[in-house]
Amino acid sequence: MRLQPPTRLGLGLALGLLIAAPTAASAQDAAAFFKQNCTSCHTIGGGRLTGPDLKDVTKSRDRAWLTDFVLAPQAALDRGDPYALQLQQEARGVVMPQVAGINRDLVSALLDLIEAESALPKSQFAGVQVSDRPFTAADVQLGTELFRGQRRLGGGGPSCVSCHTVRGTGGLGGGQLGPDLTKVYERLQWRKALATWLNAPPTATMQTVFAKTPIAETEVLPLVAYFEAAARNGGEDDRAGLIQFVLLGLGAAALGLGVMDSAWKTRFRSVRRALVERRRGARS
Amino acid sequence: MSNAFTLDTFLFAVAPYLAIGIFLLASIRGYRNRRFVFSSLSSQFLENRQHFWGLVPLHYGIIVVLLGHLVAFLIPREIIAWNSRPLRLYVLEVSALAFGILTVIGLTAAMMRRANVSTVRAVTTGRDRIILGMLLVQAVSGVGTAILYPWGSTWYAATAVPYLRSLLLLAPDVRAVALMPWLVKLHILTAFAIIGYAPFTRLVHVLVAPMPYLWRKPQMVRWYRRPEGALRAQ
Repeated sequence: MRLQPPTRLGLGLALGLLIAAPTAASAQDAAAFFKQNCTSCHTIGGGRLTGPDLKDVTKSRDRAWLTDFVLAPQAALDRGDPYALQLQQEARGVVMPQVAGINRDLVSALLDLIEAESALPKSQFAGVQVSDRPFTAADVQLGTELFRGQRRLGGGGPSCVSCHTVRGTGGLGGGQLGPDLTKVYERLQWRKALATWLNAPPTATMQTVFAKTPIAETEVLPLVAYFEAAARNGGEDDRAGLIQFVLLGLGAAALGLGVMDSAWKTRFRSVRRALVERRRGARS
Repeated sequence: MSNAFTLDTFLFAVAPYLAIGIFLLASIRGYRNRRFVFSSLSSQFLENRQHFWGLVPLHYGIIVVLLGHLVAFLIPREIIAWNSRPLRLYVLEVSALAFGILTVIGLTAAMMRRANVSTVRAVTTGRDRIILGMLLVQAVSGVGTAILYPWGSTWYAATAVPYLRSLLLLAPDVRAVALMPWLVKLHILTAFAIIGYAPFTRLVHVLVAPMPYLWRKPQMVRWYRRPEGALRAQ
């Protein structure tokens, strides 16, 4: 049977898609990997964060050097590579971490991604566009509610307060599993860096929690405003909240014991005992 | 590289399946071979004053806490939503802490009774001591986690539940638990150790708990008592 031209065209397209599919998937993987692991320190065309802006980096350095550096940044420093040392100096001593799960193929896909994104008028990785306008009281209020969980995060993730505290949280205080965030605004060095961090948290703990339930961009600015206010205000140490929590727990347990004691006065302990004692009394 | 087989992989991705495998096989074998002693042999008739404080707080404490873990495992999103109001979070956390403390009190009372009352000590086996010790480690590490790392009801739903679910789906993902503080890791590991050891101990009564007692009709117990003065008359 002879295939008609449209059918041949269809087959050709399908075959083309099949061949192209792995490349498309790896580009997608690279983009997802870049978003999760690189964007907290780098932008493509959005200016420097902790690390340099990667726009056109493949034009300024050769791919072999870039590949070796990304695979083992510390090794490049150890062998005294002058450009690696310069990068470290520009990043105020911060060394690029060796990213978990990185390999040669992935680096190649990442460099392709950076090349393609650099050619665009505006890359999707130009960084979070954080407004420069002064924070308002409404921003801080919204950030406070988001932090404390009074307003749920749109993505469905847990509220910050379940693992973190900020001095002055009130009530029984914030969580203690993660670090105290009172000074996080200063620690991460201001608005843009903190906003970028929240947009794509780079730590493994935050990634496992927020990978599927990311913090929305509209929630990032209020949170940054809240952290800015918290860093400025300091606030009361909320260890007292923790002590109250323990005391309340002990009090409720004591109450529980009291209830059990009175509720089962006649069971377990004395149904049989009363009968035995009455029998003994009858004997004597 | 993250694919490396680490201690965490063994402890949190392999050991749980070993524990559950042992639990299933040993429970079935135990039930088939020694059905009439496949229970928690009661020592109530040997001593029943201290027994109350070991029995009641322990059981109400541990059942409520276990149910809490189960509910959060089944509906984590709803738990996170419930906790979104600080007052509701605090009520849940304080209640959970109180039941955890009741469990610790009950276990301590049970252990002291087994150590101090000679008749009960005589029927206490090494396995009883080991399983009570494991349960105490489990309860203390749980209460410790609640106090040192609040608010567990939310972060359990966000980190431990995905891990437990990954175990259930036979695709263990240990990333979230591998990053936990050692106390939380101890709590998880002891839980699996207890599951693996339970079929060899009095804990098997969990499987044969007389649940129909909860809904069966009341039974009348008659106590034979001779009429007043009958003894003297003989």
